[in-house]
Amino acid sequence: MNPPAGKISPEDLVKDISGLVTLPDVYLRINRLVDDPNSSSTDIARAVSQDASFTVKLLKLANSALYSFPSTVDTVAKAVTIIGTAQVRSLALSLSVASSFEGLPNDLVSMRNFWKHSLLCALAARQLCKEARRCDADALFTAGLLHDIGELIIFNRLPAQAKEALLTVLHNQEEVTVSEAEDQTIGFSHTDVGGALARQWNLPDLLQECIAFHHAPAKARKHPREVALIHIANSLAQLAEVDSLELDDAPPIDPAAWQTTGLGPDIVESVVQAAQEAFDEIEQLFLGQ
Amino acid sequence: MTMAILPGKTDLPPMPPPLAGFEHVRRSWNNQFQSYAARILPGEFYVTRNKEGIATTLGSCISACIRDRVLGIGGMNHFMLPATDFSDLGSLKASNLSDATRFGNYAMEHLINEIMHNGGRRQNLEVKVFGGGRIISGMTDVGLANITFVRDYLAMEGLQVTAEDVGDIYPRMVMFFPATGMVKVKRLRSLHNNVIVDEERRYIDSIKKQPVSGEIELF
Repeated sequence: MNPPAGKISPEDLVKDISGLVTLPDVYLRINRLVDDPNSSSTDIARAVSQDASFTVKLLKLANSALYSFPSTVDTVAKAVTIIGTAQVRSLALSLSVASSFEGLPNDLVSMRNFWKHSLLCALAARQLCKEARRCDADALFTAGLLHDIGELIIFNRLPAQAKEALLTVLHNQEEVTVSEAEDQTIGFSHTDVGGALARQWNLPDLLQECIAFHHAPAKARKHPREVALIHIANSLAQLAEVDSLELDDAPPIDPAAWQTTGLGPDIVESVVQAAQEAFDEIEQLFLGQ
Repeated sequence: MTMAILPGKTDLPPMPPPLAGFEHVRRSWNNQFQSYAARILPGEFYVTRNKEGIATTLGSCISACIRDRVLGIGGMNHFMLPATDFSDLGSLKASNLSDATRFGNYAMEHLINEIMHNGGRRQNLEVKVFGGGRIISGMTDVGLANITFVRDYLAMEGLQVTAEDVGDIYPRMVMFFPATGMVKVKRLRSLHNNVIVDEERRYIDSIKKQPVSGEIELF
């Protein structure tokens, strides 16, 4: 039986899962050090090294085409220096979020298909960041990877209503987005639930706003530009997934989002293709066990 | 947002009457295409002589869109084969009368017969074929078996396929207008795969329960 709609809030759902999904230790350690004015990049490198699996992934990523550094990055110390401490913090979250959510299974979408969209969004966001300039590509990457996490909570906690929302999208006479269908059947959407989790986890404001407002970029207060970039990246990730360059095949992009970012539809082709190409190279690092 | 905005009833033209036998099919106004459209589920089909659309969502199932290109009468079906062992596509091809293909034959025959009952002429028929996606990885390719069946069926019937979008890894949303022959296909993201597979599986389970011999009303 479903809990009666309207009686449950996004915050209730997040409370329900607090024992099942937690932020990874390596992220929490690095987070404390980055915020501590007395810590050095040596301290951060040491914190990275304590997590063998993160260390391996970080070095592989640093040597991938995504960064294309001129020389081999063969030590953690070099990676932290060359990538930057705040950026390594972002990557600690990015590289562990898929395994963090393994405790929250569901029958509505395979984890691989779910994270595929998220990773394509992250890659598109990274590429958009390069086009838009003056923007932290690693933070945007993390925002892209996390933007739909509320979906995994809804799918796990409210499976019947979530399925009804997906059926509405499939069988409605008019085109309806998933978040509109969720609003209709549940009373709130994955953006509300994801936003509640980001607040509970005390994630940086940029991530909180990107997760909560990527379908309504006009609501962003502190980071309108980054939220607009994730809004665009979400649509372009869907194009990358269905291998199309027609904007009609993706959820509509708010014209104000183009304005806020100073970008236009002329970048669609290059961003979609860049995301598709990078996906094959780095999929294993983010989605593999 | 989009679903809340519907023009008042007075703004809409009257819904064209359905042909006999299709009264149960769900139809409603579609703003995007400014037309009425029927929406069919796995196992259903719809034929019309009017200017209206027919829509469906396909995973590994097939929809044949067939119309008389001169008279504009046409329709769409939505089916798949119930057999579970598709390892030998060659034998599937060779045994068009077998139990496995019986439901495919029914779906195709019903659609073609209904078009001809309503005035369509065989020599005017044009066919477009959609679906058969491989939407679950690691399973036998049910979509490919369905594609193989429909191509084989149409070849044997001597009906020419003028357009197709089949196979690959995507579910599809298809809208077909028999009056003009226009088709709009939209590939869907994999978020929808499991829900679509679930619906197709329920359809297959329901036809498997039908007795093996005798005339079966499938629609």
